[in-house]
Amino acid sequence: MIVSWNWLTEYVDLAMTHDDLVDRLTMSGLNHEGTDLVDKDQAIDLEVTSNRADCLGHIGVAREIAALYEIPLKIPDPQPATCSDSVSQFCSVEIEAEGACERYTARLIRGVKIGPSPQWMQERLKSLGIGIVNNVVDATNYVMFECGQPLHAFDFSKIQDGKIIVREARAEETFEAIDHRTYQLAPGMCVIADSEDAVALGGVMGGADSEVSEATVDVLIEAAYFDPLTIRSAARKLKLHSPSSFRFERNIDSENLDWASRRVCELILESAGGELLEGVIDVGSPPPSRESINLRYRQLQRLLGIEIPIDFVAPTLEKLGLVIESSDENSVTAIAPSWRKDLTRDVDLVEEVGRIYGFEKIPDDVNVPMSASYRPKADRVVDKVRNVLTAAGFDEAVTPSLVPQPWSDAFTPWCDSPPLISSQPMLGVLEEYSHNIGTVNLLRRSLVPSLLEVRRINDYRSNVNVNLFETAKVYLPSDGNAIPDQPMKLALVSHRDFFAVKGVVEALVRELNPLAAVEVKKCDEALLDASQSGEFWLGEQRLGWIGSVSESAKKQFGLRSAAVVVEVDLRVLEHQTQLIACHANQSPFPPVSRDFNFIMDDEVRWASLEATIRSESGPLLESVRYLETFRDETRDGPGKKRVLFSVVFRSNEATLTGAQAEELCNRIIANCTNAHEATLVG
Amino acid sequence: MSIELFLEQLEALAQEAGKAFSEAADPDQLDLARVEFLGAKKGRLKSLQKNMGAVPGDQKKTAGMKLNAVKNLIQEAFESAQSRLSSAGSDGQPDLKFDATLPGETFHVGRLHPITQTINELKDIMGRLGFTPADGPEIEDDYHNFEALNIPRAHPARDPLDNFYLSVAETTSGNDSALSGNPLLLRSQTSTVQIRVMENTQPPVRIVSLGRVYRPDTADWSHYPMFHQIEGLMVDENVSLADLKTVLKLFASNYLGDEVPVRIRPSFFPFTEPSVEADYYWDGKWVEFGGAGIVDPNVLRAVGYDPEKVSGFAFGLGIERLCMIRHQITDIRYLFTNDTRFLHQF
Repeated sequence: MIVSWNWLTEYVDLAMTHDDLVDRLTMSGLNHEGTDLVDKDQAIDLEVTSNRADCLGHIGVAREIAALYEIPLKIPDPQPATCSDSVSQFCSVEIEAEGACERYTARLIRGVKIGPSPQWMQERLKSLGIGIVNNVVDATNYVMFECGQPLHAFDFSKIQDGKIIVREARAEETFEAIDHRTYQLAPGMCVIADSEDAVALGGVMGGADSEVSEATVDVLIEAAYFDPLTIRSAARKLKLHSPSSFRFERNIDSENLDWASRRVCELILESAGGELLEGVIDVGSPPPSRESINLRYRQLQRLLGIEIPIDFVAPTLEKLGLVIESSDENSVTAIAPSWRKDLTRDVDLVEEVGRIYGFEKIPDDVNVPMSASYRPKADRVVDKVRNVLTAAGFDEAVTPSLVPQPWSDAFTPWCDSPPLISSQPMLGVLEEYSHNIGTVNLLRRSLVPSLLEVRRINDYRSNVNVNLFETAKVYLPSDGNAIPDQPMKLALVSHRDFFAVKGVVEALVRELNPLAAVEVKKCDEALLDASQSGEFWLGEQRLGWIGSVSESAKKQFGLRSAAVVVEVDLRVLEHQTQLIACHANQSPFPPVSRDFNFIMDDEVRWASLEATIRSESGPLLESVRYLETFRDETRDGPGKKRVLFSVVFRSNEATLTGAQAEELCNRIIANCTNAHEATLVG
Repeated sequence: MSIELFLEQLEALAQEAGKAFSEAADPDQLDLARVEFLGAKKGRLKSLQKNMGAVPGDQKKTAGMKLNAVKNLIQEAFESAQSRLSSAGSDGQPDLKFDATLPGETFHVGRLHPITQTINELKDIMGRLGFTPADGPEIEDDYHNFEALNIPRAHPARDPLDNFYLSVAETTSGNDSALSGNPLLLRSQTSTVQIRVMENTQPPVRIVSLGRVYRPDTADWSHYPMFHQIEGLMVDENVSLADLKTVLKLFASNYLGDEVPVRIRPSFFPFTEPSVEADYYWDGKWVEFGGAGIVDPNVLRAVGYDPEKVSGFAFGLGIERLCMIRHQITDIRYLFTNDTRFLHQF
């Protein structure tokens, strides 16, 4: 809301400086956003919160100033003279759409002479940046910016049968507004119609046809109260926002209609002449009655944290327009003015008294009691995860939670049900390259496709060694109306090879639980390469997936080179996490290490070979370490491989003898030969 | 061969070797000398050793001892030359081939996203002030996102066009969730966590909730349809605006690393009364910090608290704004593009 310094002086004496005024206004709720010099005036831009429709006019701002500086407020008392004919002889108003229009008043001025509005009025409107039209339209604008009540003037000759009907728009109804654009109306919108057509879009904009022009002689003045929600949805649907709709949306003062109507008639009569018909058409329901509010003084101290002198309270409320009904040493009872619909409870009055007294007087060094906070396990686990991954050279990414359909469908390992769909798409979140992929309106069930897109972006920007991770929620639909499951996942995308990435995951699991071991089982995911992929398991719990991105998926995601992806369930990790590790005694005796080299079929998996090695080795086996695999078809024949591994034995009780080690080795050799038809080399 | 000749040869070899080793100017030269004298197959010491067979039997012992002594001597000479060259510069010529200014092997430590770094820092500060992190669902129902927060149905914030309301694919009869009783949506603020925590906890409550929130703005340099918020809540007997101002001052001073003035000025939010905007004074001007206020009695009642017995404050800040100001990031979209060159800066 822009207010003019000169205009304000009509209601309050501005003896303070501009800077002092805007500071005080900022600190009492009207945030100063800037001031422009316009001719000899200052146009002060104030931010008005949506609960303060009363400050969408100069009088409201002046009232704040009067309360802040404890100075008198002068409000005009318009009493325009009338002629003997009565408005009701010529005009009628009927409200059909009662929900949309609570109250409608009309006055009629006959015989105006359209011309320029007075210089002082033009100057004030110009200060606000309002276009100048003529002495009637300018007067309606002037009064709107004076008191916040939007008004409309119709060329009465264009109102068929002098009959105003406030009704809902009909389906397919069209309407040409003052901006000379035609709007397609819809039921739910409120129109002002005559006996035939819509002449205005109620509360939003007047019609081109009934606009006041140089030919206008008789003017019908509308001052009405429209339902905020109706106005807002109409303005929004039609993308037609006006100073009127802005005010109606914020719930204007329905008791001030008549004052505004008289005020604009007075101004029109002054500058355009003519005669005002006697009386006013006033239809609809009377404004609701206002309840009294009891403010206990102790609430001030309790909620504001400062002591405010009791004798400050009632006078301040009065300055703000409240009517004091009674008061005693403990409380004051008052009724809020019609323009302050936001004041209904004691706590609302606490704010009023506090903000006029000054929030700057509230201390910022009180003793807040101490309290111990703790870090939830989930937080600590995620921190450890991030530490491991950054140490492993992975950078963290943050990507949008909504994805287009092809990405949503590309990888859905966690859930078979279709994704949740958002009513609104996310706009502007895709790079130009991906614009045609689809509407971004599906809640993702995996983080992997988003990371593949990030990988593509980096590929296209020639960034090398791109290793990224993200921790975020995925959204798994559930039955019925329950809040869907939204588990935290961790996903990785890497330039490194399968085993390098698998090693990172193994290190991560070890960091969280030194005793846990990750197993890999076969998986079948189209996004992943048929052989270079697997499911991660931790004991009985499925931890997630790893795999090289398949050729077709690389094509789908526009990747120029190989990528390995991982997605794991952070809840499973959290469940397995051992935040406090336990000590076990270290053997003081030397280890015995033996290397083995076996020839076996390609089909033999390391996991089962290792299980065989461990199967009968007992507690003397300290570790089994895989070394390498190589193939020599000429020596070993087709379908064979050589697997080298190293085994360490150690006892907690004594140095192992050569014979003991020999026996353990022989058992391993025998078991591997029996279980896997493996042949020991050399 | 006579013992005399053999000993003479040994002596000469020791001298020659000592000279060669001490004159070696670099490890390559030294290595050549090593092969010449100490080579395992064709080294001169090895060849000389073979002559021992020709020494008369009764003198073999003396010859052997001398051989060993010379061997040790040559070995020592080699080692001392080796250590001289390896500590080049101490008393030898510096090895120009060794360029200590070459870069070390690349070792990339991954970077945390600047949003995460900001969140961690804010969470840390709030933790020191006694606020425990609380998590809540991002998919919320209308009740927790609006109703319980005293946001009436007619409030503009509830406009379906301003929210990501959700529906399930392939449901029957056009189930428009925005119209049903308690539809689901992506939360538009982290205040929802307040409600969930208070529903399940008796006062006193001191929590901080952080995370993603969603509003359907088209992405541009300063808007993104997904962003992050931090929200603090403290409920106890007699919690007032003075407590709020004190906590905000500690919070801002801690975050900015210097004691900063904080001011609160009246504002409007449905879930607080009084509502305030908090600013901190930095670099000669007041900078908007975030919204705050005393928890509205309707909110307290909605979670079963008695507003006559307890009161509380809440505040919420946008993480992106703090992060962008701190790191001088000029376009919010950079945060979500994840160009590694961008990420490596932080």
